Amino acid sequence: MSLLSIYQVVAIFLLAIGIFGIVYRRTLIGIVLGIELLLNGAGLSIMAAAQLTPTPNELGQVGALLVMGIAAAEATLLLAILLVVSKRFQNVEADQLTTMKG
Amino acid sequence: METPEYAYLAWALLFGHIAIVIAGGFITVLSKSLVRALVGLILTLFGVAGMYFIMAAPFIGLMQLLIYVGAVSVLIFFAIMLTNAWPGGDESAKKPVKRTVYAFLAGLAPAIVLSSAVLSAAPASFLVPEETEVRELGRFLMEPFILPFELISLLLTVAMAGAVILGLERRKRK
Repeated sequence: MSLLSIYQVVAIFLLAIGIFGIVYRRTLIGIVLGIELLLNGAGLSIMAAAQLTPTPNELGQVGALLVMGIAAAEATLLLAILLVVSKRFQNVEADQLTTMKG
Repeated sequence: METPEYAYLAWALLFGHIAIVIAGGFITVLSKSLVRALVGLILTLFGVAGMYFIMAAPFIGLMQLLIYVGAVSVLIFFAIMLTNAWPGGDESAKKPVKRTVYAFLAGLAPAIVLSSAVLSAAPASFLVPEETEVRELGRFLMEPFILPFELISLLLTVAMAGAVILGLERRKRK
């Protein structure tokens, strides 16, 4: 088992536990936490794939930076959406948000 | 990695960080209080940042600390506080067993497929990755990667404007 495999297995663990959290959690905020775990796994995987193989290192580092930027944009928008949803529906439970027209 | 005692230390450091990541992940998805779940997420983010440092990429590790631990987790904390989710009512109710089983299967299926692929087909890797200068990184970002760089700045601007518009709309309706 090479070092790359260890890193990739940790990244896959983050993916799996992120998906688990997305399905398991009841509130939208819990789902957001799962999405963040998943994105972290993606960054770790990209980084390990470039850093530990003959691929140019810059490729993986810039890729990980782009993943972080996308995660930041996504968190900003999710905060705004969560605020609107909690204002209109008075809660943020995924099972109770059943109408599309607020 | 050449001298045995340092190799021992390096492996201990690596598996320590992996343990931090795994413990933080379980706290994040299983904790009853959302604030505790957020603390678990921050633990995971610190663990991943440490793994970046071990992979000889200190710049990306620092960015991970700045962006994720500094910005994203604070945003999620605001989301927990500003919505009514946090007094422990929503997540503390007992979950149906069916949902737990489905969530477990949903997480397990891609994990088995991907990890069998990784374990059977992973190429040989360096044991000691080499460090890249930040200057090289900047040059790479400016010359071959200029289009993704501009696109991500556009994405951040649009996301920020969208968040502001959503917030304003809420106030107007009230």
